[in-house]
Amino acid sequence: MKRRNFIKSICAATAVAAVASPSALLAKEAPKGGNLLSYDAAVAAITGGKAVTDSDKIKLTVPEIAENGAVVPVKINVESPMTEADHVKAIHVLSTKNGNARCADVMLTPMNAKGYFATRVKLGGTQDVVALVELSDGSFLRASKPVKVTIGGCG
Amino acid sequence: MKKVLLSLAFLSTMAMLQLNAGEQFAMSDADRAMYTEMLENNPAEIYVEEGGEILEEALGGEEALAKFLEVSEKDLPKYIAGFPRYIAKLGNVVGIDQVLQAMQVSQGKEKTKLKSGKMFSMLAYVKSLANDELINIDIEADEHIKASYALGKVTYMTARGGRGLSCNACHSADIVGQVLRTQPLPDLGEVAVGGTWPAYRMTKSSLRTPQRRFQGCMKNALLKVIPIGSKEMIALEVYVATLAQEKGKKIAIPGLKR
Amino acid sequence: MAEARKSMIKFKPKKFKVGDIIKVDFIVIHPMDTGLKKNKKTGEVIPAKFIDNITFSLDGKAFTTMKVWETVSTNPYFSVNMKVPGKGKITVDYTDNTGEKNSKSKKLKPKG
Repeated sequence: MKRRNFIKSICAATAVAAVASPSALLAKEAPKGGNLLSYDAAVAAITGGKAVTDSDKIKLTVPEIAENGAVVPVKINVESPMTEADHVKAIHVLSTKNGNARCADVMLTPMNAKGYFATRVKLGGTQDVVALVELSDGSFLRASKPVKVTIGGCG
Repeated sequence: MKKVLLSLAFLSTMAMLQLNAGEQFAMSDADRAMYTEMLENNPAEIYVEEGGEILEEALGGEEALAKFLEVSEKDLPKYIAGFPRYIAKLGNVVGIDQVLQAMQVSQGKEKTKLKSGKMFSMLAYVKSLANDELINIDIEADEHIKASYALGKVTYMTARGGRGLSCNACHSADIVGQVLRTQPLPDLGEVAVGGTWPAYRMTKSSLRTPQRRFQGCMKNALLKVIPIGSKEMIALEVYVATLAQEKGKKIAIPGLKR
Repeated sequence: MAEARKSMIKFKPKKFKVGDIIKVDFIVIHPMDTGLKKNKKTGEVIPAKFIDNITFSLDGKAFTTMKVWETVSTNPYFSVNMKVPGKGKITVDYTDNTGEKNSKSKKLKPKG
């Protein structure tokens, strides 16, 4: 009894994923969720195959090292006049390795006055967070940043 | 013979620790700024607000609490910042949650369990009334708090369990900063455990109390868990709070932790 | 307590004038279950339950809509900006994948 608990504790002590890795669970059983979508497929679905330009007009702020993978802060600021003629139509927050690459699709309007959105996302492991931005003229911009997810800790 | 065995266990544990400076896991300034900003939108605030509502509806709010503690409402925040403390009419050194239970009994109501969401919320709300106050536990105030502090220190320093570990084994000044399981070990005074718990734990996505956190740590260190609300656990809370007090830390509830 | 689900709307800064651009923050207590985890005690899969649509409106007129996925953190936080046109009421309507509907409102009270 004591020995089993001891071994269990050792296992609990080492890599405890903050979020169950979707791919690891897929291997065991096919989940019923129909939301699994790879990064490339998600981008294709959003852009319809249109060209995407990397742009430094997007300021994407994420931690270099996330303290845990369950709550990773993401902040996006897109330079834009946010007028009726020229504004950010949508900010799509994606991750490159989660089973469902999509996190949020935010449809903004000129009343927002700034191309800004912030949230907190789950990351199943070290990967990139991507801001895919759609402008009112139909063009797409992108910025991405890597986030190292530490898995472990005590307690 | 026993002493030698304990030291061997201790040494092998220390070998487990990655004895590097933990630089690659230390938080950068930019990252720290992001996590600090998260404090402004802490989900635990919703629980704190809820705690205030429960306190008001079930017990009569701060007014009733101040009256029960025999302090003025004006002095209540500073008084709260001195918990755990000896309450004469309860005959013990107690935490805020136990005071709330005593209030319930005095009003002829059913006691809310210490280990319940309702109590965690109320505890967090009451402690938040002391926000910005310096932690001010007077360990010389009476013989009871003196004894509690002494017991807390012994509890903190005593090596026990399968690996012969004490709290001090991982949190003493010369060990702090070293990496255990990818996280640098924290200085409990510096991170103001006494001032920033109850806190929202990101890995648990919920509001957690300091005593529960101690229990979690004990489980990982293979120490027999000390019961919530017990003499030893309260004593430990007193001792750990003084570590933050020595560094002039203030109350800031709810905290945000990994 | 009347509200079914606990949430908070916050404006930053707290004091603002007509024409100012403020931050509108929304936090809500919601499990955001992915449907990929198991109950440790029973071994059963915890079904997916996550907020999937959010609409921010001012006096009934939507100014921001969001499609949200299960990859957003538990007890989620959402933040956008808004230029204050005048007095009014901000409402956040949100639904989750199980069909649960909720709403939270806060009065917009600019000074001057």
